[in-house]
Amino acid sequence: MGEHQTLLWKIAIWIANILAILFLLLPIVAIFFGAVQTEKDLLTDVRNPLPKGFTLKNFEVILTGKGAESGVAHYLPPNVGVLPRAFLNSTVVSLSVTFLCLTFASMSAYAISRLRQRWTKGFLYVSLATRLVPLMTLMVPLYVSLRGFHLLNSLTGIILTMVGFLLPYAIWILTGFFLTLPRDLEDAARIDGCSRTQAFLRIIIPLSAPGIASCGVIMFILSWNELVIPLIISTRPEVMTIPVLLASLCSDKFLFFTLSMAICLIALTPSVLLALLLRKYVVQGLTSGALKG
Amino acid sequence: MAILMNVPAILMITGIIAYPLAYALYLSFHKVGIGELRTGVMPFYGWNNFIHLFQDEVFWVSVKNTLKFSAIVVIGETLLGVGIALIIEKSRGRLSTFTRVIMLLPWAVPPIVNALLWSFIFSAEYGYLNAVLLGLGFVDTFVMWLGDPKLAIYSVAFAYIWRTTPFSVLLIHAAMQGIPRDLYEAGNVDGANAYQSFRYIMLPLITPTILIVMILRTTWAFQVFDEIFGMTGGGPGNSTWVASYYSYRYAFQPPLDVGLGAASAFVLALMIGVLAFLYIRFLRRVEVE
Repeated sequence: MGEHQTLLWKIAIWIANILAILFLLLPIVAIFFGAVQTEKDLLTDVRNPLPKGFTLKNFEVILTGKGAESGVAHYLPPNVGVLPRAFLNSTVVSLSVTFLCLTFASMSAYAISRLRQRWTKGFLYVSLATRLVPLMTLMVPLYVSLRGFHLLNSLTGIILTMVGFLLPYAIWILTGFFLTLPRDLEDAARIDGCSRTQAFLRIIIPLSAPGIASCGVIMFILSWNELVIPLIISTRPEVMTIPVLLASLCSDKFLFFTLSMAICLIALTPSVLLALLLRKYVVQGLTSGALKG
Repeated sequence: MAILMNVPAILMITGIIAYPLAYALYLSFHKVGIGELRTGVMPFYGWNNFIHLFQDEVFWVSVKNTLKFSAIVVIGETLLGVGIALIIEKSRGRLSTFTRVIMLLPWAVPPIVNALLWSFIFSAEYGYLNAVLLGLGFVDTFVMWLGDPKLAIYSVAFAYIWRTTPFSVLLIHAAMQGIPRDLYEAGNVDGANAYQSFRYIMLPLITPTILIVMILRTTWAFQVFDEIFGMTGGGPGNSTWVASYYSYRYAFQPPLDVGLGAASAFVLALMIGVLAFLYIRFLRRVEVE
């Protein structure tokens, strides 16, 4: 709309951008402000939201689990002590889920996109339908089943459940990508004597690196952020993931907001950083995962 | 070979989605409490779980809240989604690049972090929202954003909208980018102003995407759990109990009535099933076009 580049139009667009940025960023700023001041500073003037001091003490407290000695807080929920452990658990879970989803989903998606038989198309729609099954409906029976298999309170139980739940989405995203790859290259490889497996490993996988990156980063972020699955499967501190740890702090009215914001900052860093760094891939994956088939 | 390649996925999806779905139905018709879980013997219970469910006032409150929450959220996300997508589409320069870059930020925030973050912002005495409003003189007492039964559901809905709007923006913006530029130029030649070219050229072309986004977002809003769990715990009173939270509380908190939890979760699945059916039919139709 070249005609509309008048001064008034420019100012309007500028204001609109500023409003959008404020909407997107202000809540994150609140986490920062909360995390870098002491509870006392936060309370000195409740009408002024700007931070009244700067300290990294909150991080020291939550990472060491020692509240009383530092003089920052006289009360600290015992679960805060397992934060480093929870971070490790979350990392193990997210990396395993991402790896398993990518492996299983790329095999399925390849079969669906290349073989184009009636049942593969059907399988694709079944996997789309299963993606819409509400998680809570699955968690009630899964709790009973996993209890039977002694997989409650285990990282294995969490990982298996997440992989099963996220796979349909991963297949849907990857099928979209595989369908865009030219078949000629693969046919040429097959004429040159490659088997289907070789063609898959040497041609399709390297060519679809962007698709795999998109799917992988989305799987990592979704599994890092997932609360319901580990909340129901694991209650013991040693198998807590970061979201479960945070959930245990939600109803604690005595925990200082400054400390909980510091924990939040640690919890959101991996997923937010990945999303910002690999933005292009996330955008591609989310759009192709929702619209194309 | 093709079957072989699909085996792991089929196994996982059967084990974690198909089988539990059937098992949920089984559990709904059986008496499953803490005692039955211990012994492993679950007596047949007929329609009793569903009868208890439909007689429970809190269940109907939860259904009503779920519908209300979803309506607020989907309308909010769609309006904000179209608005922000338009801003990104129509502006060039450094500022708009920045908007694009941070666009994904709320989407990547873990939902439970989002809950804690907004509990802090909405906190009556410590919160930044009241601080700003008091500082600017818009209110003269602390507003109980999460403590007032009338306000709480709107506050939670706002927090949820903040996190999920980027998804809507992405999809709607992708649809806007797919519109050929000649159409706008043709519109300009015919003397269309900015509003007219939005209303008569862009809007009709992005409407299918907007509808898909709305259906998809509704299925997710129906399942809201993390923000409710973290911000209000269903309270104050039962003013923010929603469907997923109802199943969670009955199945996994005392009295641990897994049968009732399964029955209520199955009702939620049926509600979403209707929406899912519409979504898939719609997606197929768009694909054919």
